[in-house]
Amino acid sequence: MTCHDTRESLSAFLDEALAPEERREVAAHLESCADCRRELARLEQTVALLRRVEPARAPVGFVDRVTEAARPRPWYRRAAGAIFVPFAVKLPAEATALVMVALLAVYVFERTPVLQESARQEPPALETMHEKVAGPARVEPSPPRSAESPAIARKREQDRRDTGGTAPGLAPPAPASPKPDAAPAPPLPTPRSETTPAPSAPAPPAPAGARVGGELAKEAESRRAENRQPPTESSADAARGAAPASRLAAKRAAPGDVVAGITVRDRDAAERDLSDLVARVGGRETGRRREEEATVVEAIVPQARYAEFTQGLARLGAWRVEAERPDLPAQVRVILRLQ
Amino acid sequence: MREAEAGDAPRFLDRLRAGETAAFEELVITYQHRVFGVAVRMLGNAAEAQEVAQEAFLRAHRGLAEFRGDAKLSTWLYAITSRLCLNRLATAERRHHRQGEEALVRLAGGERPDAAAERGELEAALHRAIAELPEERRIVVVLRDLEGLAYEEIAEVLDLELGTVRSRLHRARADLKDKLERFLP
Repeated sequence: MTCHDTRESLSAFLDEALAPEERREVAAHLESCADCRRELARLEQTVALLRRVEPARAPVGFVDRVTEAARPRPWYRRAAGAIFVPFAVKLPAEATALVMVALLAVYVFERTPVLQESARQEPPALETMHEKVAGPARVEPSPPRSAESPAIARKREQDRRDTGGTAPGLAPPAPASPKPDAAPAPPLPTPRSETTPAPSAPAPPAPAGARVGGELAKEAESRRAENRQPPTESSADAARGAAPASRLAAKRAAPGDVVAGITVRDRDAAERDLSDLVARVGGRETGRRREEEATVVEAIVPQARYAEFTQGLARLGAWRVEAERPDLPAQVRVILRLQ
Repeated sequence: MREAEAGDAPRFLDRLRAGETAAFEELVITYQHRVFGVAVRMLGNAAEAQEVAQEAFLRAHRGLAEFRGDAKLSTWLYAITSRLCLNRLATAERRHHRQGEEALVRLAGGERPDAAAERGELEAALHRAIAELPEERRIVVVLRDLEGLAYEEIAEVLDLELGTVRSRLHRARADLKDKLERFLP
């Protein structure tokens, strides 16, 4: 056995941790090697020094602290500990997670149109109601009544008569002008659902719901017709085809904030009173369409005076709101059906 | 093996596994100084050692139901304590901490080096020499020369081969011999 091998085993030799054969070999080498014996002695003295180190003692109260910590805690403290402890790690992580969830929610909200529609709390039937009330709307923005000359109004009225009152693209006559051929007002207020034909109607009209459905069907048909327009069609036909498209675009761009119906005794008088009312509250009419059974008026009214406007409507006749946005804008777009 | 035999009595183990508070308290009383001793010599800081020793007992408390009794309770506790100490020494926070003077704090009472000098240059030199050993050698010399464990038990505590224990112990003692040369006769 070499000195190097012997010295590698000296520590175990001291502790009597060598196998008998190895121990004999180390002992034999030590008998013949003074350097290794000296090394063994230094190692033995070092170990003796180490064993002089006083045993460490746990601090006073250590047992109490450990047993106290080992005692089962109430469930709510365990839950709080599991959620928040260690604070240095968990609180920042939880705050980060919260922020990320919030950002994710915003991201999902912005990417999901359905959620945005819901958030606006728009009555789902508002657009539909607008379409129903307006029917195949012929309403187009018209200048203020005061700016329209009587000659133009008469021309419009003449055109309306020529086209049976349903010519597309024509605005109704100004309410202030006399209407010799205006249909007589029904003797009693007629609810929309009433099926009794109007006295002046040349043919028994369909029930209101069916009529509206028929109008929708007509509009759908006109949309299909637009799609079928051949490029060689005459300019007049093209103009007729283009008009519904522009009306549709207008309706989609500016749906009504409020849709209401008013049952009046005298429709002509009510139209005039309504015009005055709109002007009085600082609003303006944006469209008017006169039909056999009803007159549809679109107007914009300042939201600040909307309450006053509704009080005025109540004086015109029995009125009912059919659809209304919960959050009215500064300029409230109102669609009224006088009948 | 000091109190180990009493702590490993089957009845005592049954009481511990049953979660008897008095039995656990008895366990802590029996092994507190040894567990704390290993921690304080490994970490060189009394406050930190107390924290680790408490954690070792709490882990033992939680794991007592699964303790099979294949090893002695003392071996099991030394294993938990050694693992906690080595893990803590491996953390970046701990390595940074050790750069300060805390590494040379007096072992038993947490005194600082100047106070240690008053208690004897030899004792201070001994503690400093132990503290300066690499961690894997230090734990072996602490378990063998300060706690008196057998080679086989050290191998079990640290989950090492017997030859590795022998080798590390020899290197540690050789390092200490060189550092303490001036105190040798």
